Amino acid sequence: MEALNYFALSWLSPELLALTALGTFLGIYVGAIPGLSVTMAVSILISFTFSWDVNHALCLMVGIFMGGVYGGSRTAILLNIPGAPSAIATALDGYPLAKKGLAGEAIGLSTVMSVIGGFVGIFVLAIAAPTISEFAITFQPRDYLLLAILGLTLVGSLSSGSLAKGLFAGAMGVLVGTVGLDPLTAEERFTFGIIELWDGINVIAAMIGLFGVSEALHQLHHLDKAIIKQKISRIIPPWADVRRFLPLSIQSSFIGVIIGALPGTGGDIAALMAYDQAKRSTKKPEVPFGQGAKEGLIAPEAANNAAVGGAYIPMLTLGIPGDAVTAVFIGALFIHGLNPGPLLLIEQPHMFWFTVGNLTLANIFVLIFGLTGIRIFSKLVECPKGVLIPLILLLSVVGAYAINNSVVDVWWMLAFGVLGYFMRLYNYPIGPVILGVILSKLIDENWRRAILSERGDMGQFFANLFSSPLSSVLLAAIVFALFTQTPLWTRWLKPKLFSKV
Amino acid sequence: MSRLPSRYPGERLFSFLLVIFSIFLLWRSYLISGFSELSSPGAVPIGASAMMVLASCIAFTQSLKTPLDQEARFFYHCFPPVVGFVMALVLVYAVVLEQLGFIATSIIFLWVALKVLSQRSALWSLGLALLSLVLIYVVFRLIFQIVLPEGIIPERAILAAISRFFGGE
Repeated sequence: MEALNYFALSWLSPELLALTALGTFLGIYVGAIPGLSVTMAVSILISFTFSWDVNHALCLMVGIFMGGVYGGSRTAILLNIPGAPSAIATALDGYPLAKKGLAGEAIGLSTVMSVIGGFVGIFVLAIAAPTISEFAITFQPRDYLLLAILGLTLVGSLSSGSLAKGLFAGAMGVLVGTVGLDPLTAEERFTFGIIELWDGINVIAAMIGLFGVSEALHQLHHLDKAIIKQKISRIIPPWADVRRFLPLSIQSSFIGVIIGALPGTGGDIAALMAYDQAKRSTKKPEVPFGQGAKEGLIAPEAANNAAVGGAYIPMLTLGIPGDAVTAVFIGALFIHGLNPGPLLLIEQPHMFWFTVGNLTLANIFVLIFGLTGIRIFSKLVECPKGVLIPLILLLSVVGAYAINNSVVDVWWMLAFGVLGYFMRLYNYPIGPVILGVILSKLIDENWRRAILSERGDMGQFFANLFSSPLSSVLLAAIVFALFTQTPLWTRWLKPKLFSKV
Repeated sequence: MSRLPSRYPGERLFSFLLVIFSIFLLWRSYLISGFSELSSPGAVPIGASAMMVLASCIAFTQSLKTPLDQEARFFYHCFPPVVGFVMALVLVYAVVLEQLGFIATSIIFLWVALKVLSQRSALWSLGLALLSLVLIYVVFRLIFQIVLPEGIIPERAILAAISRFFGGE
């Protein structure tokens, strides 16, 4: 009963309801504009909302997350430009549908399927998280260490073409996270004698720089791109279509929630895998995949929204972010005094049920705004980049300044912005940097705990690593993730194993 | 951005700089506590920076093998003048933010940036800059209560005068 009260908290409070609606609305807009990402929006928002009550701040950010993942499909369908990485697979069949004059129907169908996916993700989160949380209490420090390394390895290897670049970005993030006084011994690390560095580099300033400034600078390359307008006709999808594609939508949602729950993998990978699975399982599509098959639109859309609920599972139960957005979210939770991890569900179960209820509410707002405001959104997306970029930059500077009322954070933001710009330019992924920063404390603490518990004996450490089933599985997963990036796998084993599929 | 397997001009230099930067950080990590103990404060920094050195060396080697995109020009495709200009503009904005204050610097920043990036008339840019600033000020300064540098414009006095005028205090 108590859980139900917390579940309904954001539904019954007019303020929280309005903030969730506003967040979802903004999220759809942010997600729909190529170059504006949910990660960017949440990073900037943290700096403005950290003085708020935690529930209010969470409502706004949850709405943005949920709306943003869905919003990315808009431009993927209308312009063949995915608004967010999770909508890359959506463009494959969404845009051909729009070219046939079925843009409205495609958007309507993607909305309904996104919402179904969202509900499946939230349902699995509500069912699985308490169980995983109870199990996670038995985790040893070495298991947390391995989980964090697995997350970094997966995000590093999957988010860019080069494993080396991904690993570099992740390791750099870990190093950035260690700057300042060591929490155990108060020894200085990378402070160069500067007192301002004793507290470390502000994570929010780094996030705004990497995701806000660098993205805005990158968008300057596309200032002269003309906006292609599409005609939007029917929006509400036919009931027969919804019923017909429901099994595929549920199947894709489960793929999405499982992929989303893996540390280091997010909606983009979930959507691509669901698309691939739909292609294999649909024997006779009415229209071939890639030419406007509705199955090719439904599968990624259901999967990427289901991945939101999935990503919350490791975030809330283990304190390990699934991807860059959840890494930013963990940063936000820390700032609000919450400590995501197995104890969160035991010590503060109300926060868990509040989040589940709020995600459900945001998902309902996705349906409402998704089906009613398509024409308004298509106008908003046409806002020229020459107007948007100065505003993003201004908000980034104000946001960085507002963290501590200090211009030092603005300098950090700028430095990370310029670094992020060149990293993007030369295909170094940005996501692992922020994941590394967030996971740095966890890695540092658990490495030292693990070693101290073995009294500094590395032999014993490895013996326990191989004798514990959980540690062995995690280690095997890391080795496998690294192995899949080697030429032995990509050139020889993979073609042999998957050639017949 | 998906240009592989060719590389943009400057990638090799950038990768090389990352190698140098990583080696410097590895040295600084070693200085924290050397190899004294596996659980010392420098253990994780040494591990992370060693990984950075290894990964950056591999990335640099890959860049040596990858052919240059012959059509790409550094100051057109990689670092066009507009990017340099905006970077400099943001830098100047950050430098003068505390001295001149949020309102004065933001209006100049927005005006110049909108004029250059949207290539519309000065009056249109100024109008939009003013409108945007009013909106941002109301949302962030008045509703969110974010403290922003006051600088040369006595905004607190202006706000007090406005509230006296309407509130009749």
